[in-house]
Amino acid sequence: MKSIGLKSAPPLKRLLWPSIILVALVTQIPFILTIYYSFLDWNLMRPDKGAKFVWFANFKAIFMGSEFYTVLGNTFILTACTLLLCLVFGLCLALLMNRDFLGKGLLRTIFVAPFFVMPAVAGIVWKTAILNPNFGITAYFAGVFGQDAVDWLGSYPLQTIIALVSWQWIPFFMLIILAGLQSVPKDAMEACMIDGASTFQRFIYVVIPHLLRYIEVAVLLGLLFIMQTFGEIYVTTSGGPGYASTNLPFYVYRVGFKGWDIGGASAIGVVIVIITLILLKYLFKFLRRTFRGELS
Amino acid sequence: MKKLLAVLLTIFTYLAAFIYFFPLLWMFITGFKNEGEAVIMPPSLFFHPTLDNYKIVWGSGIGAFLGNSAIIVVISTLLALILGVSAAYALSMFRMKKADDILFWFISTKMLPAVGVIIPVYIIFKKLGLLDSHLALILLYTAMNIPLAVWMMRSFFKDIPYELIESTQVDGATGLQGFFKVTLPLVKPGVISTGLLCFVFAWNEFLFGVSLTYTNSSTMPVFMASFMTQEGLFWGKMSAVATTAVLPSVILGWFTQKQLVQGLTMGAVKG
Repeated sequence: MKSIGLKSAPPLKRLLWPSIILVALVTQIPFILTIYYSFLDWNLMRPDKGAKFVWFANFKAIFMGSEFYTVLGNTFILTACTLLLCLVFGLCLALLMNRDFLGKGLLRTIFVAPFFVMPAVAGIVWKTAILNPNFGITAYFAGVFGQDAVDWLGSYPLQTIIALVSWQWIPFFMLIILAGLQSVPKDAMEACMIDGASTFQRFIYVVIPHLLRYIEVAVLLGLLFIMQTFGEIYVTTSGGPGYASTNLPFYVYRVGFKGWDIGGASAIGVVIVIITLILLKYLFKFLRRTFRGELS
Repeated sequence: MKKLLAVLLTIFTYLAAFIYFFPLLWMFITGFKNEGEAVIMPPSLFFHPTLDNYKIVWGSGIGAFLGNSAIIVVISTLLALILGVSAAYALSMFRMKKADDILFWFISTKMLPAVGVIIPVYIIFKKLGLLDSHLALILLYTAMNIPLAVWMMRSFFKDIPYELIESTQVDGATGLQGFFKVTLPLVKPGVISTGLLCFVFAWNEFLFGVSLTYTNSSTMPVFMASFMTQEGLFWGKMSAVATTAVLPSVILGWFTQKQLVQGLTMGAVKG
């Protein structure tokens, strides 16, 4: 594709600047400050002490404490298990929805709904109506089957949050995988049928390889978003009991907005951004491969 | 035999959809029960639906929070659209050396965790006296949605045949006229679904809302969380509030279904 009249390019290029400036102002400048704050001993509850430059003391305190490793482990378990559940159930639902039947559009709409529900409400509805050990639906069914009701969020906080976050993200995976299933090349399938391949063989040798690219997109994006889970934890367990269901983003909130330890919270923020940047590198490598030159 | 299997699979799909949707359905139904019936065991399926919860909730000032959400979300969505569409237009129509790098820079800002900047953002807004103000959240939500708008719109602009743009140039129209008369109408469906998705994300945003507002400009998710801590025992009222809070984003979200996959994967996958 040719570029359009170079003469008209310069004024239109300026259209870019407002977006770049605003986004940089809100995301980049504050991050530089986060790095700076992470070297300060600064607690808003102790204005008398002021802010003191302490080099890496905040990082040292974080890495020496045991909570950080609990939180890091939680973040890993939460993200990995949610991704796995999303992938398995997303694939199953996509396969179910990739058939022709009455009311397909309606069911698709129903399956997608949880994705649009705000995390705060998703957490509250699950905590009360579904999982409450006295009045929740699960308690009722436990009673019907003669079992004791389980206090899900108290006894299995992390597992319950995994289920809850999966419930919200499975539709995202379903939609992407469904888009993949619907774009399986017809000629390859026909060639396979002529060769006498069974449905199962066709699935393994044609559909799965084609789906891999879609699954890769879903997993990479899902990973980056699910790592940032916050609202669901805030309204259900507040990260407890203890640190049992605190992940990295919620840890920043606890240290920063409950403990008012600006330096400590900033240091954790820096650690999270470094982890994310490493993951982003893989996403970008993949995206650049996908678009290969058709971006500009 | 094959037909039977197909019917069974369809029934199974319906069943799965019912179970999947059940938490939301139950929330919706509970909103119409009086408080006694809301927590009764076994759960009552047959009851006299009542609008009492909605009346009480509306009387208790939920309107102010809905208003905050509406003002912040609508203004930030419009701003993100104006800025994002023009940036995407410049990026996709005019070859620039650094176009990929700019695109990837945009997306990296969207992917980086908000908690990485929340502390300085709080301090800055505190110093500027903007804590608990509409302006603070409008700025943040606009910046949060611009990358999404740029990437989504880029993939819609790409679908326009080059000859069409060229023909507007031949007619002697300026770049701007060509844009408003030819290009923009072509991508109208894309602009609409981009706007709807920006709306949904801003409407549901929680971290910035809960960290930067207290009472004056709290949005619905923040009100929801504090309502639960204060009146968490009143399930009927809580369900009514929750239903009110999720309805706008779920309904608008449904309208984006066609472009949702393309939008969420930044054009890497066409839905």
